[in-house]
Amino acid sequence: MPAFSKNAAPALRRTSREDEPEAQRHSQHLRQLLLISFSWLLALLIGAGVDALLAVRRLDRASQEVSRRFTVRNHALGTIVISVRYYDDQLERFLLQDQLQESGPDPAEVTNKIAAVRAALLDYPPDGDPDEQLLLAAMQQQLQEQETSCAIVLAWRSDLRQKRAYQFIGQQLIPWRTRIFELSAQISSQEERRLAVENLTVATRFQSLESRLVWLVSLSLVAGVLMSLVCGWYILRLERQARLRYEALARSRLELEGLSARLVEAQEEERRNISRELHDEVGQSLGALLVEVGQLGKLVPPEDRATQAQIVQIKSVAESAVKSIRDIALLLRPPMLDDLGLVPALEWQAREISRRSDMEVEVHSENVSETLSDETKVTVYRLVQEALNNAATHASAKNARVTIAQNSDKITVKISDDGQGFDPGRQRGMGILGMEERVRRLGGTLTIASAPGKGATVEAELPLHKADSP
Amino acid sequence: MRKTRILLADDHKLIRGGLRLLVEQQTDLTVVGEANDGRETVSLAKSLKPDVVVMDIGMPNLNGIEAALQITEAHPEISIVMLSMHSDESYVLRALKAGAKGYLLKDSAESDLIKAVHAVADGKSFFSPAVSKVLLDDYVRKLKRSGAEDAYDLLTPREREILQLVAEGKSNKDVANLLNLSVYTVETHRSNIMEKLHLRGIPELILFAVRRGIIS
Ligand SMILES: Nc1ncnc2c1ncn2[C@@H]1O[C@H](COP(=O)(O)OP(=O)(O)O)[C@@H](O)[C@H]1O
Ligand SMILES: [Mg+2]
Repeated sequence: MPAFSKNAAPALRRTSREDEPEAQRHSQHLRQLLLISFSWLLALLIGAGVDALLAVRRLDRASQEVSRRFTVRNHALGTIVISVRYYDDQLERFLLQDQLQESGPDPAEVTNKIAAVRAALLDYPPDGDPDEQLLLAAMQQQLQEQETSCAIVLAWRSDLRQKRAYQFIGQQLIPWRTRIFELSAQISSQEERRLAVENLTVATRFQSLESRLVWLVSLSLVAGVLMSLVCGWYILRLERQARLRYEALARSRLELEGLSARLVEAQEEERRNISRELHDEVGQSLGALLVEVGQLGKLVPPEDRATQAQIVQIKSVAESAVKSIRDIALLLRPPMLDDLGLVPALEWQAREISRRSDMEVEVHSENVSETLSDETKVTVYRLVQEALNNAATHASAKNARVTIAQNSDKITVKISDDGQGFDPGRQRGMGILGMEERVRRLGGTLTIASAPGKGATVEAELPLHKADSP
Repeated sequence: MRKTRILLADDHKLIRGGLRLLVEQQTDLTVVGEANDGRETVSLAKSLKPDVVVMDIGMPNLNGIEAALQITEAHPEISIVMLSMHSDESYVLRALKAGAKGYLLKDSAESDLIKAVHAVADGKSFFSPAVSKVLLDDYVRKLKRSGAEDAYDLLTPREREILQLVAEGKSNKDVANLLNLSVYTVETHRSNIMEKLHLRGIPELILFAVRRGIIS
């Protein structure tokens, strides 16, 4: 058995060692690939996020700028229109003060108003496009003309005013005002157009950002799906490999168990054969020899002392040969099991050990049937033999007790000693391994309970099979 | 004078030959048959009706113990001498339980066979001296190690007397006649003996007697 297990284990390891480097290199490559892909995907996602954030912020600022610009111009244009209305109103009241019979505004007041118009015109942001510049220049021109006529009109006296007011208002002031309003309306629509165009630009930029994002997201999605597929495949492969390995392991263990079981069987058979040969052939021949020698002793006259002494010598040599043959045969395969049955054989064994050691062994049995299978009997016998031998040789025990009890479906054997004990988790030799093997072969359980100073108890439970009952 | 008829049973021809040689040197003994295994022994015993069967314990096809059981069951008048290699109690007790009257170690067959055959033919028992010695040694060692007292010391002289007679194979009635007691008294003594010595049945009682050298 030792030779066998030494050979089997390396053979087992060798097969897996051969294809291991190949598989290892393979999975190492795959791991690297996966790592690179994952970092790439992560970089892609982070890049896309940052880019989108920056683009959105830029667009936001641009659209704010567009609307601010529009608002400022719109406001400036409004101020121009209002200031024109004030001036127009004041000048009208100045010109018509005599007809309406009320005191008109001071000429300085009117001058102020036209100055306000000029200021409002100057306030308008000068950075518009050329069309707007032209319109503004036209407005400036109109204002200049109006200022000139205004200075003349303000110098008019009451009579001149009465005479020419209506004419001036109708021919000069109203057309002028209309012209200014027209120009401002043109500027305003110009501005609105420009706003629309700029908004359109922003929208286009939004759209391009959107499509870039869609592209990035789909790219990440595709990459993610691809990588999940690869990962899934990899995991499946690993699982399959693990399963295969586990199966191979289980198989080889089963083979190992089968082998060692057959080994025990063969060992038992071999022992039985050798024992029978020894006992039947050698032992019996020696027995017969003894009888013959005895006969010879009777034939030789008692006076022939020398020959008689020789015969006694021959007898004692033959006797000791018989005895040692018998001892060896007994150890190999006790005929008691076949001759007497299990319990008497155990009692015999207990007495044998009691005789040759300082340990007294007691055997107690409860309803043990006479019809146990040979396998069960041999197993119990060998268990008791090994446990008692251990107790006698290793434990320096004074007393040992063997209990064997049978019930409907199992047989329980317990061997306990009052010796020095040991650590069954760590100390185990061929003896204990052999016990475990024998018990496992019958589908039973073996427990060894011991601790230093506490004695030891070996307990086996063996299920009974069909062969064990009559 | 009628010769004592003997059936020899052993699975080894050599041994049977040796035994036959021993027996035929005696004028009052004769070998009527030889058997090769247990089954043959049983059938020859039934057909030949020998006075004594000398039989090896370990034989193929039905061992000596089983064969003895079958023979004594069918013909209680046939006396059986067991031949054995083992002087252990387990063997002796089994042989006694199977109905054997004599128990002979093979080593001493040559010197004791004739004595044994004569003894059992007379209705007595016979055990190789070496057996008594082993039984006693085991007993004494056990007593010493356990510190228990020898149960035999607990027996009264009368009980010892009855123990011997019962072990020799006498019935209660024989014992009562011999000792001039009532059968009922003998019965009581007998169960007292069994209790004091922790014995179960006559075979164990005989074993005890052999061990103590009360009978041989
Ligand atoms: N009953 C016991 N009491 C004390 N020690 C024991 C007992 N049984 C086994 N041992 C210890 O366990 C070891 C292994 O036992 P075993 O497997 O039978 O091998 P072996 O008897 O050949 O040494 C022994 O060497 C001994 O140290
Ligand atoms: Mg051991």
